[in-house]
Amino acid sequence: MVDLLKLFSYPKLMHQAGVLGMNSRNHNIIARYNKRSLYPLVDDKVKTKTLANGIDINTPRMIGVVEHQYEVKDFQKLVEGRKEFVVKPAHGSQGKGVLVIKSYDKGLFITASGKTLTFKEVYQHISNILSGLYSLGGQYDVALIEELVHFSNEFKNFSYQGIPDVRVIVYKGYPAMAMMRLATKESEGRANLHQGAVGVGLNMQTGKAVNAVSHNQPILIHPDTGVDLMTLQVPKWREHLMIGSQAYEMTGLGYLGADIVLDKERGPMMLELNARPGLSVQIANGRGLQTVLKKIDETYPQGLSAEQRVDYVLKQAK
Amino acid sequence: MKRFFSVNAVLTTLLVLSIIFAAAATYYKITYWGFSFKPSERTDVWTIDAKVSFVPNGDPIDVSLSLPSVQQGYKILSEDVVANGYEIQKDEKNRRLSLKSKAHKNKQNLYYRVMLYDTEDGKGKFYEEAPQKTKITVDDEQQKVMVDDIWRLVDEQKSGTRAERLIKLLNEKPLSPEVDAFLPVKNTTRVMADKIIFLLGTRGIPARVIRGVMLSEKKRMLPADMMIEAYEGSKWIVYDINSGKAGLPKDFIVFQRGGVSLLDVSGGYDSQVRFSVIKSVVSSFKMAGSRAKYDGSRLFNYTIYDLPTLEQNTLKWLMIFPLGILLVVILRNVIGISTMGTFTPMLVAMSLIKTGFIYGVLCFAVIIGLGLAVRTMLTRLNLLLVPRISAVVIFVILIMQMLTVFGYHFDLKVAASAVFFPIIITAWIIERACITWEEDGVKNATKQIVNTVFVAIITYFVISSEYIRHIMFAFNEWNLVILLIVMLLGTYTGYRLTELKRFAPLIKDK
Repeated sequence: MVDLLKLFSYPKLMHQAGVLGMNSRNHNIIARYNKRSLYPLVDDKVKTKTLANGIDINTPRMIGVVEHQYEVKDFQKLVEGRKEFVVKPAHGSQGKGVLVIKSYDKGLFITASGKTLTFKEVYQHISNILSGLYSLGGQYDVALIEELVHFSNEFKNFSYQGIPDVRVIVYKGYPAMAMMRLATKESEGRANLHQGAVGVGLNMQTGKAVNAVSHNQPILIHPDTGVDLMTLQVPKWREHLMIGSQAYEMTGLGYLGADIVLDKERGPMMLELNARPGLSVQIANGRGLQTVLKKIDETYPQGLSAEQRVDYVLKQAK
Repeated sequence: MKRFFSVNAVLTTLLVLSIIFAAAATYYKITYWGFSFKPSERTDVWTIDAKVSFVPNGDPIDVSLSLPSVQQGYKILSEDVVANGYEIQKDEKNRRLSLKSKAHKNKQNLYYRVMLYDTEDGKGKFYEEAPQKTKITVDDEQQKVMVDDIWRLVDEQKSGTRAERLIKLLNEKPLSPEVDAFLPVKNTTRVMADKIIFLLGTRGIPARVIRGVMLSEKKRMLPADMMIEAYEGSKWIVYDINSGKAGLPKDFIVFQRGGVSLLDVSGGYDSQVRFSVIKSVVSSFKMAGSRAKYDGSRLFNYTIYDLPTLEQNTLKWLMIFPLGILLVVILRNVIGISTMGTFTPMLVAMSLIKTGFIYGVLCFAVIIGLGLAVRTMLTRLNLLLVPRISAVVIFVILIMQMLTVFGYHFDLKVAASAVFFPIIITAWIIERACITWEEDGVKNATKQIVNTVFVAIITYFVISSEYIRHIMFAFNEWNLVILLIVMLLGTYTGYRLTELKRFAPLIKDK
């Protein structure tokens, strides 16, 4: 019983440590700074992509959109001449319903994990997307077909399969906290912390690892690849922060999470935005988010451009 | 611009106001409508009909009848007088009914009806007058011997008051020779009462008859029941004439006591009063209505309690929802347990009430288990979302049908309770569990199901209490308080209990 109690902390200590709780996030931040009417901008990946491209934010190039059931059978026409592509639901979240095709030939499709699918199976997958299987609330959806991200080799040993991405929490346009999410065997190539992926907290000024967790507990090496997680350094860090910062002007959301992947050739690309980013970024960083948000509220100047804000953040002493 | 009133302050003020309102309404309902916190759903109501009949002698008529007053254990629900052409007057202080009329020719029948109900809180108080100590002296020498013999026997006994011992002696079977000699051959309760009063009088103990009605069913047109009351040890004690048992029985309704008569009729002769008793069982809330009307309360007509029983039962069922909802809000926003669908656990708990706990949980497990098996097979068919969930719904219906038939034939209550579960909700639990299984693994799916069932069970134990359901219905004003608590919880920005564990590593590093 005493051991069980040790698992818990005290609200007072958590408050002192500046930990942001779910209720406080919902009530004090999201309800206050994220207008409901702006949600569709980030919930619909097609819209997000269009907006991002309008202000020269890199995103994976769109190949096409399958909107209606009768178009599904012709999806191969869209990808004609390409050797690889990604199918994802426009309203999906947490990487649900994402199908990565590495190569295909004569009605057989090879996925990123090496599985072989028939035409019928891919057809079914797209149909499922349209019927809303992966969308929030189960409403009808469209399937987005886009180019595959060619993942930078920089992180080769940091992730077990899957794509590691950087999540930047942006508050009032200022990048406030960031983490990198690394897939593990347990998470089956997905980058979701609750499925067992590794979260690495990043220094906001340098993009270097400061802390790493797996299942809420601090770790130092990747459970599958054995690489020292503390050696992680995200290249092109300023560009990562720029994407996050620009997303503020792009969407008008006062509190958002930008998921960014690093492409070999095209550099950091915005994968998706989230109007209700989770709080596990605090665990990955080993510190509370509330402290940072408070600092931004109280001392950071207002009315700066996206570029000025990033520079301001980079200049801050840790 | 700073907000002048914070949402929190406004809600808190409203909450305080609603609590005051609810408390006042509760007090009012208890005091004036006789509502109780106990879910005693039915109440015995006794109807006593007193029929006064006499033959007029040609003079103006004046009838005076002693009426029952509020006493221990019973409260008066309503009183009614049927006396056409009579001027009716009721003296509430002395509890006497007076009926006046000009002269009549034919035999007169007048009726007084009182309805009484069982109650815990009816407190009856008798007006205690000091008795006049008058000692009866017996002149007849032979009788004096008999009386002395009887008292000698009485005083040989030790336990109880003298009056109690005396009455017991007079009721002994077989009678002792001394008593046998004293009592007349043709004995009635009335004669017995007179003899007891006489015997007590010879020893200076004041005694008198109490008239009233013993509540028992199938009593028709009987004269008033009598009891003896004797003054000993500076208080009046009531005795049963036929057993000597001391104390006023709970179901003896006193009509007349002390120095007054039960019935006085002037302007008539051959007067008598006959009592009939009917017992009926009435729903408490129905009674509350007549009670409120008796009190002249119009407010009652605009409450849910004045509705027909069917509507009341539906509302009684609905009135428990707010409490269930409050629980869900607390478990989610304060404790931080995530479940499948916000109100799913509450709806499952509602079903458990209808099925009974053990049977319900077992049956639900079977439905979910079979459903998951079927749903897993459906996965291979790769059906589209809407047709697939529809198929699951139909499967759930078929499973329920199968279990019900099975349960009926093998007399298994477990299986027969299947029909009470909400079909669509059950289908969605199966669908979500299956998707979570596929996407997030068995561990997460199991966790979700366990959480959902756990919350359902907690909710069940709160709303299954007959007391709580009764209170939420009878004192439905508390739903307003619940509403404001829920709204206030909407502004709760503190940590959830589960977050204290989730974010605990952040603290230990420091």
